[in-house]
Amino acid sequence: MIEARSKTRGAETGSVPTVAYHDVKKRFGNFVALAGVSMEVRKGEVVCLIGPSGSGKSTLLRCTNGLELIDGGEITLDGEHLPNDWDGMRRIRQRMGMVFQNFELFPHKTALGNVMAGPKNVLKQPRKAAEHRAMEFLRKVGLVDKATSYPAQLSGGQQQRVAIARALAMDPEIMLFDEPTSALDPETIGEVLNVMKQLAEEGMTMIVVTHEMTFARRVGDWIVVMDRGAIVEQGSPEQIFESPTKERTRDFFSHLVWTG
Amino acid sequence: MNYDWSVVWRNADVLWEGTKVTVFLAVTTMAMAIPGGIALALMRLSGIRTLSIGSALFVEFFRNLPLILVIYTTYYILPVATGLRFSPIATAIVALSLNVSAYNSETFRAGIASIRQGQSDAGYALGMSRFRVMIDVILPQAVRRVLPVLASTWVSLFKDTSLVSVISVGDLAFESMRVRSQTFRVLEMLTAMAVIYWMLGYPQAKLVDWINNRYRVSE
Repeated sequence: MIEARSKTRGAETGSVPTVAYHDVKKRFGNFVALAGVSMEVRKGEVVCLIGPSGSGKSTLLRCTNGLELIDGGEITLDGEHLPNDWDGMRRIRQRMGMVFQNFELFPHKTALGNVMAGPKNVLKQPRKAAEHRAMEFLRKVGLVDKATSYPAQLSGGQQQRVAIARALAMDPEIMLFDEPTSALDPETIGEVLNVMKQLAEEGMTMIVVTHEMTFARRVGDWIVVMDRGAIVEQGSPEQIFESPTKERTRDFFSHLVWTG
Repeated sequence: MNYDWSVVWRNADVLWEGTKVTVFLAVTTMAMAIPGGIALALMRLSGIRTLSIGSALFVEFFRNLPLILVIYTTYYILPVATGLRFSPIATAIVALSLNVSAYNSETFRAGIASIRQGQSDAGYALGMSRFRVMIDVILPQAVRRVLPVLASTWVSLFKDTSLVSVISVGDLAFESMRVRSQTFRVLEMLTAMAVIYWMLGYPQAKLVDWINNRYRVSE
């Protein structure tokens, strides 16, 4: 029931945003990856970042959990300012799950071993408890029967579902998805999007960098269009997809479908 | 020319003793040089300037000196210079370990560098520390990836142990040469030595191939 999700943002004003970005800047050498980005993500919301390659979507995501440190501005999590240093961000990273374009499962560990990695090595849970917990999450993504398989023995879609389970096993407050279906065969994209949709329906707060416009439109609560390290416009899916106000957004959409 | 192969059988016990020493030297050296190589590689990659430079100097020093020179130096110069005196066998192990650690360090460094950044990102994203990521994510993959190189190093080491015969360590080479000089049976003893080295070395190379196939990480 996608319709059940609130797509009216105004109703929640006043509550502290789960993640808030204020004038976030990031440079790589001379290249300006983020030129001052400000936006908010509310609890239980699915925010989709869309836009052309190199527009800063992935960088914004990686700055969120501190895989990249920012050069200016600030990011808050539940109103708390995030430390802008590598070690300080380690505790923050434990509260955020991340899913990568290339899955990045650990190839020397089984599916179960991958999902256990966080609970066992970071949360220091006893092996039995970690294993039990990991199996629950494999069940959630429908891969209990693949628990003893190695990543190389799984399809791309299955690997990405294991990767989602691995992130969920840390019991994150928010999930970050970095183009989770871009490296997948077309026929396995659906199974990954289904898992993500289920998560969204359960109320998980999610930031999703994606080129899957159907997903953004149907599951997203808030759409952010980015270009050249800045936000072009943001709004509800209806507003962005049906009546974009910016020329750049219309131009981006017009290039998504090949018309020959 | 007459051959007298019985010299080999008559001295089988001596050759056996020498073989045991050779195997002991190779195994002990590798047992020290694998952790040694990993430690040197981690120092080099630590980002801490002193450790990094120290490791680089160590590696370039021992990698570029002939092993036999290191053996002689450890045996003859070190006691005079520092008062540290090792038995011949301990000298042999120290010299071989210094040399092989230097080689292994470069092997592990290349292995670690070959693991793509996404793998460490995935570890960090789970909240792992740098140390955890290295131990749980990077090293297990890097070690598997460099197994073939370690195998080559091992086979080289196994043969290079023969160099320690110059300081009278009773390894296979030393004992063979001693029998040779006592009996003047040059061809017989050299052949026996060659056969023993080869028969020990070949199965090891095969074993490592097997280990490599068994534990290789495919993506």
